[in-house]
Order: sequence, then structure tokens, then C-alpha cells
Amino acid sequence: MRSLLNFLARYNNLIIFLILEGIAIYLLATGNNYHNTRVVNGIRSLINGIEERINDTRTYLNLHTINENLAAENVALRSSIGRLIKRDNSLFFSVSDSIYRQQYLHASAEVINNSINRQKNFFTINKGARQGIKVDMAVTSGNGVAGVIVGCSENYSVAMSLLNLDFKLSVRIKSNGYFGSLSWAGRDYSHAILSEIPQHVAVNAGDTIETTGYSAIFPEGVMVGTVSDFEKIGGDFYKITILLITDFKKIHFVDIIGNMKKTEQLELEKLFQ
Amino acid sequence: MINSILRFGLIFILLILLQVLLFNNIQFSGYVNPYVYVIFILLLPFEIPSWLLLLLSFATGLIIDFFSGSPGMHSSATVIAGFVRPYILRVLSPRDGYEQGSDPSMLTYGFRWFLTYTFLIVLVHHTALFYLEVFRFTDFFRTMLRVLLSSLFSITFILLIEYYRRGK
Repeated sequence: MRSLLNFLARYNNLIIFLILEGIAIYLLATGNNYHNTRVVNGIRSLINGIEERINDTRTYLNLHTINENLAAENVALRSSIGRLIKRDNSLFFSVSDSIYRQQYLHASAEVINNSINRQKNFFTINKGARQGIKVDMAVTSGNGVAGVIVGCSENYSVAMSLLNLDFKLSVRIKSNGYFGSLSWAGRDYSHAILSEIPQHVAVNAGDTIETTGYSAIFPEGVMVGTVSDFEKIGGDFYKITILLITDFKKIHFVDIIGNMKKTEQLELEKLFQ
Repeated sequence: MINSILRFGLIFILLILLQVLLFNNIQFSGYVNPYVYVIFILLLPFEIPSWLLLLLSFATGLIIDFFSGSPGMHSSATVIAGFVRPYILRVLSPRDGYEQGSDPSMLTYGFRWFLTYTFLIVLVHHTALFYLEVFRFTDFFRTMLRVLLSSLFSITFILLIEYYRRGK
């Protein structure tokens, strides 16, 4: 308290000066339009300047959050780029099949292990889950059916060959559209059996057999083979022998086809089974 | 004491009348506006307490402001002049100090001392006044020219008044 009084006593001159000067400046600023405008503008620009500084500081302090947001945005953009751009070395590219209105993904792969002499034949391809291969994708060789993926590791996949007793495929005769079931008889790597074609249907040797797309694995219209022989057996159906277009003995490069809408189709179908 | 209050009151009124009626009407080409009333601050006694000096300066400026229609402008300048007066007096003080009971006048301390004293205070006052009037630093040197020319005229008139006082 005493030091405060000392301070006041010592600087009373200055304090009175400042008070009187303050009053005078106040009068100056309020009493004259010109000075008033100048002061108001000055104060406003001063305040704007200060606010700008504060804002700058705040932005600086928030840089961490901003960076995180930017990084997240980068990731999102990059992934959308990945979806949009077809890179040359990409495994899959989209084909909009305007005829059948289905969208399939295509990839190419190499067969690195193959067998044709067992009852249940499988072959191995050099691409796996990491390259986007999934179970139940179709495998074709050239333009003929080859098999179905049944298992994937990271970089390899195993496909069930058409030459497998468990392999069943919905196919049709291209000329008249009657469909039946294709299976392998287990004897000859170049022939398969088409059954369930009614006997009233006209079948000719050399008729083209293609897939129906009912299975949601193979696209519609993939070539399977040609009719080589047919005979009427007991019941109402033909037993048609198909000469396969795919030569499983020299199969090397295969295409893998993924049906993007398969899940949708199967889920819908499941509702009514 | 009473005597000096009366005396300074009379000087005060006279100076203000002089300033308002005569000098406020002198304007040479927009550069010269003599403000002679500053002499009141110059002539106040050495022993005056600084708070009273400041209050009197403020009052002088305020009254001039009322008559000139420029509230605050002259008050600011005179308060600044009143504030620096003690420091200027200290700087200008003779070797053995100011005489007891004397006023800062040309008669007591000589023309040269009085001229320096007047010059410094008038300069401070006019600088403050003119820069407050324009209230910006654009045309800085033009304003400075106005300050110098007006100071010249103010000092001239103040010296004339002081001569007249001495002669009396």
C-alpha cells in the first residue's frame, strides 16, 4: 500500500497528464466527425489485425488436426482413384456387358500345376487373394470354360477343373436355347457329358454348347464345346457327349472372371428356396 | 498570492480574447495559424505544482476548443505542453538555478533564454496540435511545414507581447 502511494506520489505528474490527455483525446474523437471516423476506422483495423493474428495462431495450433484430416482425405481420394483408374498392370478391369447387363471382373493368370488323369482334377494358378481372386470365380481358357476357383491362399488359388466329377455346370445349346447340366464322365479329358436335354429337342452333331449364366459363376455365353455324339437313353433325356473346346492338357494361360453381382443374385434367390 | 491569481486570471482572459477574436482569424494560405495563447503556459510561475500546471493547461486548451469548435484538439496539445514544461525548464535552468519567487520572463532571464524556452514549448505544442488536426501521417512533411511556419509566427507574437509586458 505504501509502495503504491509512493508510486502515485512519484508519478502523479504523469498520471494527471495521462488522465487529462485521455479526456482531451476522448473529446477529440467524439466531438469531431472527422476524428471520430478516423479513430473508429483505426480501432476497427487494429481489431481486425489482432483477430487475424489470433486466427493465425489458432490455425497453427490446429495444424495437427488439420493434418490428420488431410491425411484421411488423401487416403479416401487415393482409394477412389484406385477405383477409377485402370492401371496397365491391374489384375481386374471392368467390362460392362451391355447385352446381359451384368458386370464381370476379369483377371489373367498362369496355371502352374495341373492334372487331368484323376477323377477329381484340380489345377493351381499363380494368383490369390492378394490379387483379388476369390472362391467361386470362373476360370476360362481362351474362350472356353476351364473351372471354378475353390480355394485361395495369398498368392495362389486352386481351381476345380471341369475334369472333376463334382463339377456341374449349367449349359445350353446355342442354336435352340435348351439348357441342361454339364458334367464330366471321368474318362476322357477332351469330352464331357451334357444331360437333361429332352428328347424332343433337335440336336445335331457340331452344335455349339455355351454357358447359361444361371449359376452366377460363369457369364452367359461362354463357349464350352460342340456336340460330338448323342444318344437316347432310358427316360426322356438325351445323353450328349460334348467335345470340349478347352484342351486341358495344354492349358496354360487362363482368365478369371468374377461376377460382381453374384452375391446379390444368390441372396435374392435364397429368399425363395 | 491573491495578487498573482488575479494577475494570471486577467492575462488568461485577455489571451483567450486575443486568440479567439484576433489570431484565430489569421490564416495565411492555409499554412500559418498562430496560436499565441500558449504564452499563458509559458508565463506561469516556476513554483507552480505540476498537477495545477496540467489542469490549467487543460482548461486553457478546453476554452480555446469551445471557441474554435474543435473539442479536444487544443486541450491535447496544451496538456502535452504543460507536461513537458517542467522538463524543458530543468534542461534550460541556469547554473545556480532559478531565482526564488521569479516568473519565467524575458526581463529576469534574458532574451536568449526566453527565446529558447518559447521556441521549445511552442514547437511541442504546435507539433501536437497540427498532427492531431490532420490525424494522419500522410502529408507528413506538409504538416511539418505548417508546424514550423505557424511556430515562427506564434513565437514572433509571443516575443512581441513579452516585450510589451517588459515595457510596462
